[in-house]
This record gives sequence, C-alpha cells and structure tokens, in this order.
Amino acid sequence: MRDRYFPYALLVPAFVIVLATTIYPLAYSFITSFREWDLTRQRRPSDFVGFGNYQHAITEAAFQSSLWVTIIFVFTSVLLTLVLAILLSLLLRRQGPLHTFTRIILILPFAMSPALIGVSYRFMFNPEFGVIAVGLGSIFPTLKGIPWLANPNLAMAILVLTDVWHWTPYMTFMCLGGLASIPRETEEAAKIDGASSFRVMWEIVLPQMKGVILITAILKTIFALKMFDQVVTLTGGGPGISTETLAYFVFKVGFKWFDMGYASALAWVLTLIMIFISFWYVRILLNENRAIIK
Amino acid sequence: MKKKLIWAAEHALLVVVSFMIIFPIFWMFLTSLKRPIDAYSITFNFQPTFENFITVFRDPWNLGSMVLNSALVAGITVMIAVPCSSLAAYSFSRFRVKGRKILFFLVLSTQFIPAVVIVLPFFLMFRSLGLLDTRIALIIVNLAIVTPFVIWMIKGFIDALPVDSEEAAMIDGASRLRVIRDIVLPMATPGILTSSIFCFILTWNEFLFSLILTRRNAVTLPVGLVNFRTERGDLWELMSAAGVLITVPIFLMAILIQKHFTRGMTAGAIK
Amino acid sequence: MTEVQLVDVEKRYGSFVALQKQSLTIQQGEFLVLLGPSGCGKTTTMRMIAGLEEVTSGKILIANELVNDKPPKDRDIAMVFQNYGLYPHMSVAQNIEYPLKLRGMDKATRNKRVLEIAIKVELESLLKRRPSQLSGGQRQRVALARAIVRTPKIFLMDEPLSNLDAKLRVTMRAELKHLHHELGVTTVYVTHDQMEAMTLASRIAVMREGRIVQLDTPKNIYSKPDNLFVAGFIGSPSMNLIEGDVRSGFFRATAVKIPVQFQDATSVVLGVRPEDLKIVSKNSAPITASVYAIELTGESTLVTMKHEATSICVRESADYEARINDVCHIAARTTGKLHLFDKSTGQRISTCSVKPTKC
Repeated sequence: MRDRYFPYALLVPAFVIVLATTIYPLAYSFITSFREWDLTRQRRPSDFVGFGNYQHAITEAAFQSSLWVTIIFVFTSVLLTLVLAILLSLLLRRQGPLHTFTRIILILPFAMSPALIGVSYRFMFNPEFGVIAVGLGSIFPTLKGIPWLANPNLAMAILVLTDVWHWTPYMTFMCLGGLASIPRETEEAAKIDGASSFRVMWEIVLPQMKGVILITAILKTIFALKMFDQVVTLTGGGPGISTETLAYFVFKVGFKWFDMGYASALAWVLTLIMIFISFWYVRILLNENRAIIK
Repeated sequence: MKKKLIWAAEHALLVVVSFMIIFPIFWMFLTSLKRPIDAYSITFNFQPTFENFITVFRDPWNLGSMVLNSALVAGITVMIAVPCSSLAAYSFSRFRVKGRKILFFLVLSTQFIPAVVIVLPFFLMFRSLGLLDTRIALIIVNLAIVTPFVIWMIKGFIDALPVDSEEAAMIDGASRLRVIRDIVLPMATPGILTSSIFCFILTWNEFLFSLILTRRNAVTLPVGLVNFRTERGDLWELMSAAGVLITVPIFLMAILIQKHFTRGMTAGAIK
Repeated sequence: MTEVQLVDVEKRYGSFVALQKQSLTIQQGEFLVLLGPSGCGKTTTMRMIAGLEEVTSGKILIANELVNDKPPKDRDIAMVFQNYGLYPHMSVAQNIEYPLKLRGMDKATRNKRVLEIAIKVELESLLKRRPSQLSGGQRQRVALARAIVRTPKIFLMDEPLSNLDAKLRVTMRAELKHLHHELGVTTVYVTHDQMEAMTLASRIAVMREGRIVQLDTPKNIYSKPDNLFVAGFIGSPSMNLIEGDVRSGFFRATAVKIPVQFQDATSVVLGVRPEDLKIVSKNSAPITASVYAIELTGESTLVTMKHEATSICVRESADYEARINDVCHIAARTTGKLHLFDKSTGQRISTCSVKPTKC
C-alpha cells in the first residue's frame, strides 16, 4: 500500500538536512573531544587521549570561571526577562490605541540583530560620548564618568540588559498567547464572587498561566545559554575574562587558540547541559499538549 | 477617580515601555545621520547628512558585497529550508506514524544545540574541503539552525488548519500529493510566508557562523559591523549607518508579519 | 442489491476499541442512519467506509468489491462533513467544480454541470463568493452541491445539519429527504439527533460503545425497542422505565400495579412511553404519584410525577391543568404499549398492547 509510506516520504528531505547539519557534526565533535588536535601544530588529529580534554576542563580556572559567568548570566537574565514579560503581557492584554502601538513596536527589538544590539549598547554606554552614560551622569552626578564596560560587575549588568531588551518581547508574546487561552469566564466569575483586581490576578490568572510561564522560563534558559553575539560585540569577554560565558569560552579555545580537541570537549559539556534542559522542556511541552487535547 | 488613576498609570507605563524599546533604535538612526564630529557628542542639534551611507559602500568598507552575501545566504537558506520543513511539518501534523514522537523530539531538541557546538566540526570539515569563506558553507550551517525551528513553526500553523477540507478533497478524488498542492498549500500560505520571513530574519542576523567561517569574500553584514572597530577607535557614525542598513529591511518584514508572527511563535510553543 | 457491506469490521486505536467486530449490510438506494451518543463509533464507522480510516480487521465491500486498501479517491463516494470541509481559498463555483476537475472533465461541461447543480440548490447567485462570505445554511448548500455534482455510488453525511440553527435544520432536513428521493443514491448518514434519524432514515442503526444495538426501520425502533438503551435513547421525553416484578398477572413496583400478560418474573423493567399513559381521577388506578413538574410544549403538556425514587412522565393534552404536589392517578391509554425488559441483560422480553382494564 503506497499510502503507508507517504508520511515518511514527506519527512525525508528535512531529516536529511537535520542529520547532515546537526547529528553528523555532533558525532564528529564527540569523537574529536577524545583526541588531541592543536591546529597550530598538527594538521591531523592525534590518537585518542581518553577523557584528557574533559579532565583538563574540570581543572582549568578559566573554564570554571566561564561556567560561573554563565550561571550568573542565565539566572539574572531569565529572571528579569520572565518578570518583565509577565508584567508586560498583563499590561498589553487590554485594548487601546497605545496598547496596539506598543504591541507592534514590541517586535522590533526581537527582529534586531543581536550583534548590532551589542554594538549599540557599547556605543550608548561609552563614558565620554555614550548617550546613556552621559545622560545618567548628568542626572546623578555620582555616576558621572563611570567606565561602565571596564567594571566587571557593570559590564555583566549591561550584557544582561542587552539580552533582556532583546528577548523580553518574544517572551511577552508567549505570555500573551497563554493569557489569550485562559477563558474570560473564570475571571468574570471571580469578580462577581467579589475578588479584587489584584486577587483576580494573583489567584485566578497567574495560576492558569503556570504552564506557559514554565515553558517560557525553560525556553529563555536555553536561549540564554546560547547567547554569544553580544559577548563579542559588547564586551569581548572583558574586562579580563569577567564576561566570558561558556559559549564564548568554547569559541575562544577553538578559534583563537585553535585547540580543537579541547574545544570539542567543552562544546560537549555545553551540549549536555542543553540536552538535559531541552529534554525537560520537551517533556513538559508534550504533557501540556496532552492536557490541551483531552 | 480611581479608574482614571489606573488609566493614567497604565498609559504612563506604556509610554515608558515604548520609549525603552524605541530609544536605542532611534539613537542609532540619529547617529547614522551625523557627521563624525557630531557623533561624538550628545547633540540633537546637528546638520543631518547622508554621507555615511555613501562612505560605507566605498573602499575599504565595501558594504555592498556584504549586503549581497547576506541577502544570498538568507534567501537561499529560506528557499531550501522552507519547502523541506513544510513537508515534514505537514507529516508531523497530520499523520500518526510510528516513531513520530521520537522524530519530533529529535527535531525539537536539535534546535537547542548551541551554534558554537555545530560550527566547530563544520569549521574542520570546510577547512579540509576548501569551503571556508564561501557562501555555500554559510548556507549549510544556517540550515542546521533554521530547519528545526521552521518545522516547528509551520507545524503550529498547519495544526490550526481544519482537516475537513483535506479529507473532502481526498473523497472528491484527489491523490495525496494533489491534496497538498491544491488544498494545503494555498491554505497554509500565510503561515508558510510568516515562517519564511522569520527564517530570513534569523539567517540575516546570524553572526557567529559568519564570524568563524568567513574572512573576506563571504562576510555578512552583522560581522561587517566589527570592521568599524579600527585602530583609530570605533567609527560610530559608520557603524550606525551599517546598523540602519541591516535593520531597515528586517523591520519592514517584521512589521509586515507582526500579526501572524505573534500567533506563529506562540502556536508553536504552546500548542 | 447490496451496495455497502461491512463484514466483521473492527477498529482499535491502541488498546481503545472504537468499533467491535460489526457486520452491516446496506441496500442500494437505502437511507441508512447511524445514530448514537458521542463516542459510540458511528463516525468511525462512516470514516472507514469513506477510507479516511483504515480498518483494524474485517472487510469492507462497496458494490461487492473489496475496498479495504483503496484510497478514498478510488471508492466513488461523496461526503458532506460536519464543518462542511469547504475549500476556503476557492469560490463557490470552484468548490463545486473541483471533483469534476479531478476527474478530468472538460471546462465547458464542467461549467454547465456546476450551473445545473447550483440552480438545484439555489446557489446560482452566489457562485463567485468565497465560503467565508456565506451564511451557515449557504455553506451547507455548497457542501451538498459539491457532493451531488457527480453521481457517486454512495453519499456519506457526517452530522451535516448539526451546525445550523433549529429552524434551518428542519428545512434542510426536508430538502435532504427530497433530494434522496430524487437521486435515489445510497446514503449513509451519521447523527446524534434522533429526530433527524427518525424523519430521514429508511433504516436506523442505533449504536452504543462500538456496537450496533438495533438495526431496524424507524417505526420499529420506536415501537419495538430491542433493549433498554434504545428504549431510553429514542423518544423525547424518553420512555418511562420502572423497575419491579411480575406476579400473578400484574407488574408491581412501589405505588405501581399494572396488569400485564406475562408469567411471573423478578427483576424486570417496565417501559412505557409518556403518550401511552394518561392521568385519571379513579384512585384505584395502577399508579399513584404526586405532580413534580408541569411543562407545556405547545401541542401537549408533559406532567412529571414522583413517588419516592420513581419518576414518571405523562403526555397530556395541551389544556391539562394541575398544581405541583397534587396527588394524581395514572393509567395506561387504551392504544398504548407496554414493554418488559430483563433488568440484567437489558433485552426486551415482551411487548403487549394494553387491554382496556377496568380498574
């Protein structure tokens, strides 16, 4: 029966692409991660060195630092984005001309190239002629002349800011979608039962958004772990290595030091973290789906 | 009284939010119109000039070839990814085939693999194949990022289409392929178009691949930005002009699909 | 002549059984209605005939030809969907034309045929419109037109009237009936609306939990329900069902004592339709209960009475008057029917006409 193979036939082209462009490279780098391969010295990879590269990673201070930087970045950026997105979605749920306008321009930060965002913020926080740096300095004299990007903590804060600016819109759209799927009746019933607006939000609306918020949080975590462009264009990992995330560290080891074996091992550490989180994510997603179907 | 206060607070917040969204973009546009002298001061009072937009196309910046690279890489990526993904999305959406869950899980997971992980082996492969600094190399790696995402997104759109019309067509005498051509494609066009634009934006803005895999010939716009960081310091007015050139086409597209876009990405994630 | 034959057809989704090994023969020209509550397998049965679902086991024959492995397009059927299944991106004319186009008919003949059909279903003024510009009733007509534009072996209709408002539904029902008479094409019709089933069908297959529980003419389904499910499902308000025993020529339950011609039996259920009962003044009447609710339907009055847990509905004339909590006496009408069912199996064991009893 020809029909039986039809659904599979449709999948073939896409799966050829996925296999060739992700599964194969992953396997390739997995093998490389057990070899020594310094491109500056070797044309071909050496024999297998077992877990050498992984051991190297665990003991290296720069790796530990990048892991720590990643954790701080992911945590603050996810938390801020999520809170802002929830608040903004509640604000934008109502109808009105200004609401519509805000919803339309909300797409702009998301459509903007992250590399460009990094460049723009670097410009705006320039202590001499950056509009934000100078503007803040003239409002709060204590902040005058602060070298924002030369201070490790401030540089990190600005890095988080660019990411929040970039991702809050997307997450707001997701929350708006979640809000739209809540039946209006539950809120109306609560209001008639005598609940205040605040209590309706807290006790009726937010609990029903739980699923969406969870999905948004995990998705944002994944995006934050992947964040790379702004590190290059905003801070360059600096000052020192204070804003070097894991993704940037992999890049540095691979394409500045050309230590391919070590870089592959680091890449796999990052991948394992991702697989773990995305597995969690997909499971929730599938469960949510089931809940919606039934 | 209380109602008015809430109204005022709400609108004040919206104004603040809108300002925070628009200001960085506005500042970039403004800077792109300034002469170098004005770019290094925070003035609104300056003689606007389009000089920067001409300069960036001249030697040594040659933004023209980068525009071409970006457009070609993004365009061809879309033309390969979207048809293949549409077929797969249709299959995932409509058929309960064996192993479907595992396959879909695979697709969903691959989009979470960091780009830096994928580019590492590709760099080694392209190096031995002599494909470094070519558009083909960029298209191949971009497909890795974009394909799973587009499958996911188009599936969301197709899920929302009623299956009745397709069944009606099968009973009316259409073959499976005919159903796709005559019924599914026309109905899914808005969704597919939205996904295509989304895919174009992702590829157009892509930075890491281009940074690693290109040197001179295949450099794309976002990486071109880095060139304006010279020994003489950062050339902000030129960087801003280049930024405007990167941004304007994307903004136009984004606003064009704004309505579907919202639905598309939430449909994919929530449903 | 046999048109459609289902032989031991079974449908499973994993461990869930949607249809349990059923056989069914549909005659040529017949209007067969599959009737049952949601989830009973009626739509699944129809979709398997259409070829939209595969059978798990068993055989489906159309015009004596095995069609199990044939895709829908090769089965020569037409179908009207619950949500019409119109092609939103095509005009009304293109919608109707599409089946003909797929059959490679030339443009001129196609146009002629489309116009003919459009006139028949009164759509000729709307041919250029899109489905989204039509009302529910008009969409329904387009779906119908698309089905009848060619002459298939079988029409399949999946709750085609369920999305229309009550008034339009009655009109369309009559049109469907007329159309079937005119075309004489074998029709399988799925519905959960017993009124549609009764009025349209030549035969009704009442289904429950993946099984056909009775297959008969509407008249017999109504007057001789095979089991408690059919008895309770058909008729509005439904048949009164009273649990009790038969002893020495009387059916007995609390406050109920009705003469029946049946040997003694325990655990039986007496079924009697509201219109087969009447309220009388004699206090020696078989049933005594107090009025619980009175509903005027227009052409009659429904009186619900209660005695302890037993609830009985009687259809009285429109001018009947009573007050809630009045104690009343109920007797069988002379023309009425009593049904006795076995409580454990649910099957009907006897039906007898009520004899004029002096009580």
